Amino acid sequence: MSVQAVPYRQPVLTRIISACGIYVLAALVAIWLIGPFLWLFITSISYQRDLLALPTPLIPVNPTLENYGKILGLVEFNHADQARLVIASLGNSFIVAMAVTLINIVFGSAAGYAYARHRSRLMSLSLYLVLFTRMLPVVVLIPALFLMLRQLGLQNSLTGLTIAYCSFTFPFTIWIMKSYFETIPRELEESGLVDGCTRFQVFCRLIVPISGPGFVAAGAFTFVLSWNEFLVAQVLNSKRGMTTLPPAIAGMLGQANLDYSIIAASGFLSALPAAVLALLFQRYMVQGLTAGSVKG
Amino acid sequence: MADLLEPMKRDVRAQPGTGRNGGLIRRFSLYANTQAGFATLLILPALTVIFAVVFFPLVYSIWLSLAEVDLLDTSGPTLNLFGFNLPLYKFIGFGNYRDIVGDPLYWGALGRTVFFVAAFVVEATVIGLAMALILNSEFFGRPILRAALLIPWSMSRVVVGLLWLGMLSADFGALNAILSRLGLIDHYISFFQNGFSALNVLVLVYVWNQAPFATVLFLAGLQSIPKDLYAAAEVDGAGFWRKLWHVTLPSLRPMMFLVLVLSTVNGFLMLDLIFVMTFGGPGNDTTTVSWLGYVTAFNFFQFGPGTAILFTLTLICVVLTVVYQRLILAKFQAE
Repeated sequence: MSVQAVPYRQPVLTRIISACGIYVLAALVAIWLIGPFLWLFITSISYQRDLLALPTPLIPVNPTLENYGKILGLVEFNHADQARLVIASLGNSFIVAMAVTLINIVFGSAAGYAYARHRSRLMSLSLYLVLFTRMLPVVVLIPALFLMLRQLGLQNSLTGLTIAYCSFTFPFTIWIMKSYFETIPRELEESGLVDGCTRFQVFCRLIVPISGPGFVAAGAFTFVLSWNEFLVAQVLNSKRGMTTLPPAIAGMLGQANLDYSIIAASGFLSALPAAVLALLFQRYMVQGLTAGSVKG
Repeated sequence: MADLLEPMKRDVRAQPGTGRNGGLIRRFSLYANTQAGFATLLILPALTVIFAVVFFPLVYSIWLSLAEVDLLDTSGPTLNLFGFNLPLYKFIGFGNYRDIVGDPLYWGALGRTVFFVAAFVVEATVIGLAMALILNSEFFGRPILRAALLIPWSMSRVVVGLLWLGMLSADFGALNAILSRLGLIDHYISFFQNGFSALNVLVLVYVWNQAPFATVLFLAGLQSIPKDLYAAAEVDGAGFWRKLWHVTLPSLRPMMFLVLVLSTVNGFLMLDLIFVMTFGGPGNDTTTVSWLGYVTAFNFFQFGPGTAILFTLTLICVVLTVVYQRLILAKFQAE
């Protein structure tokens, strides 16, 4: 700080105005970011008939959990079978997202470690290919994946979806883990090798135990990506009950006889786990976002 | 590192292994313990997966875009791979691409896409930068607001669309409710009736979803600007705008470039919001190139023309990616 003694100070009035100004601006940002999400929650705990009153009530008149009861099968109503899909899809979403995350953590971190520590022509060529896949639009692969999985009999199966999801998650995991492993000093491995460990033992016993933050960053990131994915699931798993939550919700929107408030409840259920993960692992998510510089 | 490997290499020559099997296992474990061998074994599973689910499908997709695909016809030539047959259909060269270029719908969609991308890139950058500047100044509750940044981004685009359908609804939308309470409108507006308005709504919703990402990048950039620069500018009597123009923006140039490239690519590819909110309508007024490709391939099951349309988009993205990769690799080598 070479310019510590700044002689110029703003007048008191200007400072007070700018202090108020920043709170007005912060409030605007808060409304912009949280307002719409809040409205989703409000509609999900309202009766559709209350929402349709004029002027539209901004605060719920009769807060109710009935919409959640309806999609979870606790409250009977007409068209219950359409809403019932939500539970099955919720389960499918969870299974697929967990499986993709696990596969990514195991194989993606192994590859990330190799890229962080070893340089050769083969390595830099394959790293370039991995980087290339990161920007390749997934949608262009869907027709090919559709035909391949159909031929393998894996269309409309969670296995097929898990395999397909690896196409867009692997590059991110490898990149995030590579950036993390590069922060670990090489001396650690060298001391392990001198002590007579094999390279595999060094990786498993010395590196993996201290790589928690990297795993959390890559894992939370992969989970959220797979949890939210829509297009691949919509095309590959079109059979009723075999799809994940986003296509199920999109399907409910096409049903004229389903109330918006019921769909809003499903939407809120879908948004909650990802939002909780994002807030819980905020620091790691931001790392993942900046390190993995995301598309989509 | 190399001197550590020397004893192991000597080991191979000294002990050729007792049994044939024992020799193989021993050789493998010795190979696995060299630096290059270990690295190769670690990347092998991931590369196999990436080859199977990215590179092979990519090549197959390119083939499909050059073929006349009839999904029900299984009699054509097939490619046998590890015991399962992949249909190859009838090769027709660039026929699909010729059809697209001759289709006025494609050019209309391209025009709308260019409008969408331009509006999206400008709005996402401006709003993202504004949020970053606000979140970079000191105020009570800043950590909470920074956490809230991740909320729009963490949602599935289906839920983002659902949520904004609720916000903008002509029957019970919060925006209409607020506007009419403030006395700004007499009756509720239906935002999706007019094609141009619907396209702009899509831009706005996508900006809501994506601008936080730009903010995260800009915040990272802002934190690396030395405070001295601002102090010096203040001594020279610079106000807010002059500091922004002469200090902040020049320092953010690399981040700005990154945000522009990424949001351009994202803008070209956006299609899930269209599925949820407008389905390309009213008429074809929100049909972008990506949506046209999707509908052609998966609603009309014309895989050939559909993939061809999607590949014209991919070409644009790949060109941008090369630019982007230069950027990333330059950054990566500097570290």
